Amino acid sequence: MTAPPSEARRISVGIGQLAISRDPKEVLVAYGLGSCIGISCYDPQSRVGGLAHVLLPSADGKRAEDREPARFADTGIDLLLRRLAEAGASPRRLIVKVAGGAAVLGPANAEKFKIGERNAEAIRERLKHHGIAPAATDVGGAKGRTLEVHVGTGKTFVRTAASPANEL
Amino acid sequence: MAQEALVQMLTSVSRDGAVRAGRGLSGLMGQEISIHVPNVRIGTKADACDAVGGEESLVLGAYLSISGDITGHVMLLFPVARALQCVDLMCGQPSGTTVEPGELAESAIGELGNIVGSAFVNALADDLNLILHPSPPTIIHDMAIALVQSVYAEVLSQGGDVVMMDAVFEDEKGRTAGLLIVAPDPGSIERLIKVAA
Repeated sequence: MTAPPSEARRISVGIGQLAISRDPKEVLVAYGLGSCIGISCYDPQSRVGGLAHVLLPSADGKRAEDREPARFADTGIDLLLRRLAEAGASPRRLIVKVAGGAAVLGPANAEKFKIGERNAEAIRERLKHHGIAPAATDVGGAKGRTLEVHVGTGKTFVRTAASPANEL
Repeated sequence: MAQEALVQMLTSVSRDGAVRAGRGLSGLMGQEISIHVPNVRIGTKADACDAVGGEESLVLGAYLSISGDITGHVMLLFPVARALQCVDLMCGQPSGTTVEPGELAESAIGELGNIVGSAFVNALADDLNLILHPSPPTIIHDMAIALVQSVYAEVLSQGGDVVMMDAVFEDEKGRTAGLLIVAPDPGSIERLIKVAA
């Protein structure tokens, strides 16, 4: 089943944003991840879901702006995990899935623009730092992705412009 | 330079470029194309793709990088149906002949990106007395926000803020005929301010 329940509310999580939800009717969505990466988290026991939409690998000591708290992989993941814990999720139970990091501006520019690849690496490292191994990943390639997590079920789906939603 | 003054300067600099790019598009599409005054914005904005149907809408277009005295990025995006109409016009086929993007369509869109993107870059070079080289076009076919976001990331990863110019082209019926997006790299902003002063 790929379609969310009809009464579902889709919450768009824009560039550099993150969202936490305990509402089973909510679907958290990161639309059109190019080199950006979406990180979805779900605690099946407390039924808390979270999604972050990361733009760049590292804050390099800079403070993330208030309007884009999840702009950077390192500080964004720290904040995502903190907010999840505050909402009652247990870090040990979290099911974490990662999608995005594509090179959408064509093969000629893929070598030059390695942001997607660097984002994926930074996220892997930061999750590892927190003792978390992603349960599933769909990163790299040349196509943009939309990632969504259904808070009611914890199911996560990825779709591209060319393919329908597949469960991740 | 205050942000407001920077925006004003870039708006004026990009107006001529957008007009010339629109003229190129108009010639290729065989109809009058009007150009909204380019919108210059600082920072990432979720509504950058509204003109082509919103964040997740599928677009077909071309990407060019700028090198030379300044460096940056140029993207020309079309809603897919509109891009395919352009292809038919350019190839002298009845409208509706091309129903999906294939090799011929991509080659025509590349040419379109080349003409429209280069028109903008050349106008910028002429007006500011800079030497600029547009790269050959790369065909892009994806969700609009994925493309815009990747340019944001590329610019922001160099430090500084993203300054993006976008100009919407409209046909005689007021429908979006294309969206031109230009973003200089942060290291080129100082240079732009200097030569425009």
